Amino acid sequence: MTQDPILSVRGLQIRFGLRGRTLHAIRDIDLDLYRGEVLALVGESGSGKSVFTKSFMGLLDANGSITGGSIDYYPTPGCTPLHLAALKTEKEWLTVRGREIAMVMQDPMTSLNPLKTIGEQITEAVTLHQGLKGAAAREKTLEYLRDVGISDPALRYKQYPHEFSGGMRQRVVIAIALACNPKILLCDEPTTALDVTIQAQILQLLRQMREKYHLTIVLITHDLGVVANLADRVAVMYAGDIVEIGTADEIYYDPRHPYTWALLSSMPQMGVKGEDLFSIPGTPPNLFAEIHGDAFAPRNPQALKIDFVKRPPYFAVSPTHKARTWLLDPRAPHIEPPAAVKKLQKEGL
Amino acid sequence: MVQYLAKRIGRSVLTLFIIVTLVFCLLRLMPVEGYFANYEKMSEAQIQAGLQSMGLLDPLPVQVGRFWRNALHGDLGVSHIYKVNAPVTQILAQKLPISVQMGVLAMLLSLVLGIPLGLVMGQYKGRWPDKLGTALIVLIQAVPAAVYFLYIQMYGTAAVGVGLLFNAANWRYWVLPVCSMSLANLAFYAMWLRRYMVDESNKDYVRLARAKGVCGRDIALHHVFRNAMVPLVQYIPSAFLNTVVGSIYIESLYSIPGMGGLLVTCVQRHDNTMVQGIVLLYACVGIVGLILGDILMVLIDPRINFGKKEGGR
Repeated sequence: MTQDPILSVRGLQIRFGLRGRTLHAIRDIDLDLYRGEVLALVGESGSGKSVFTKSFMGLLDANGSITGGSIDYYPTPGCTPLHLAALKTEKEWLTVRGREIAMVMQDPMTSLNPLKTIGEQITEAVTLHQGLKGAAAREKTLEYLRDVGISDPALRYKQYPHEFSGGMRQRVVIAIALACNPKILLCDEPTTALDVTIQAQILQLLRQMREKYHLTIVLITHDLGVVANLADRVAVMYAGDIVEIGTADEIYYDPRHPYTWALLSSMPQMGVKGEDLFSIPGTPPNLFAEIHGDAFAPRNPQALKIDFVKRPPYFAVSPTHKARTWLLDPRAPHIEPPAAVKKLQKEGL
Repeated sequence: MVQYLAKRIGRSVLTLFIIVTLVFCLLRLMPVEGYFANYEKMSEAQIQAGLQSMGLLDPLPVQVGRFWRNALHGDLGVSHIYKVNAPVTQILAQKLPISVQMGVLAMLLSLVLGIPLGLVMGQYKGRWPDKLGTALIVLIQAVPAAVYFLYIQMYGTAAVGVGLLFNAANWRYWVLPVCSMSLANLAFYAMWLRRYMVDESNKDYVRLARAKGVCGRDIALHHVFRNAMVPLVQYIPSAFLNTVVGSIYIESLYSIPGMGGLLVTCVQRHDNTMVQGIVLLYACVGIVGLILGDILMVLIDPRINFGKKEGGR
């Protein structure tokens, strides 16, 4: 994997206005997305995973906006970047949406237009972004259907979404995203709404498509098990911030942030038969209020005093691994990770 | 599809038969004064003789059988009160065309204006086109129709340059009644289309279309509009039915010789054969409207399947 960034986010802030109050959905995120990698964004509901990625495509709801920072997109290595955070009008965004960055959404049951054949829906993207029409567009569409593993594409082309199962629909949604011919594919919990047996197939498909179409994939999920064998790197999000980021191995086997520990401990795979599953006490912080110190501190029984006062900076663990926690400060007391995390280190997933 | 339609039409014919027969039987319970124009002056013996000659003293099944045999030959009997001894079919043939023409024109006008209005309002939700449209709809819905019909006539006749007596040969005379008749449905279509457009715009497939890079106008026209039309389509057949019935108020306002109020008049005056004929006509139109509605639904929504009861919706 090269270290050539395709997307570079600096100091990104996103705010939502809700009935006169301001919600700080994204608080100062820095992130480099490397060309060709699969980056997983993990975190609880409400941690800002979706909002963060939607901002790459200008798909924030009308009451939300980027209030600070930059998102720079490099279509080709080393070229002058496109400043996505500065795009305003729909016309400007249309040069990016689909064409450069495409999205696969969570619920395949509702994300297809019920009144159009799936052929029409894929062809729409082919025509829009690859300029093909008529028979050529149809041929290309059939090729995408074949790519995503839909058998008898000529028949399926003419069918409507309600004639497809959930897993098949998600394949169609992926085909639509591919038909846009994007460089970056954002997958917003692509398997959450699916059967467990189908989940693995869809992840496998994403892996194949990444190879075939040289995609860079951002995979949003709250299921760490999903991430384990697909992601190259993992970013852990909490309260609108990335609290820890590293390669998948580093996050699984050498996590440093107390929130990552808690998240790993609460994986069902980590549970011991007969015991209650671990759950993180408390609730995520109120993003309407100003957050002081480490956002996770109030839910962390071993929080240090400084965690409540000063927001920790990133401490590098390795060149690829950094975490926002005072525990990594040389002056911090040594706190052992919980038993589940140690077990993971010893035994693996 | 052909098989489904055949089945559907067969069932409709049965429904038609039952409705008309039932009404026919019920009408036999009505007082007999409706069969004679000068009932008050007739003696009991004359009345009995008259009923006998009309076959109204025969057993009911015989009467029903005779009625259907005649009806199938295009004979619905003669009117006794409304227009003495004029065949019912002839009376209807005079009045129906103008009501149907006017009604269909009004329906088309309300669709042609109401749907784009709803589309624009949905697209510019909360902005000035929406507010303007809402004001118009509220005006039409809240003010009693009689009031604005009157104003349209008062100020309209001068503007269009027509006299008070309706003249079917001159198109100018059609403008005001057709516009008046279309207003209520226009407001209805615009209001509901706007609402369904807004509902649909928040659905996931619209987000996906945006993420695909489809521009806002194309999303509204190619994705949202058709979905928003699905629930609206089912109202179109009933609108079709209303066109034939005619509007009592508008027809009297502009003295149009149409169907408006014909049924009411005939019921009030116990003209049983007329009532019978009009009921047959309305039942036919109603059933055709329903079949038309079903076909429209199938054409617009692939989830609704001919012949299968379990639809996606």
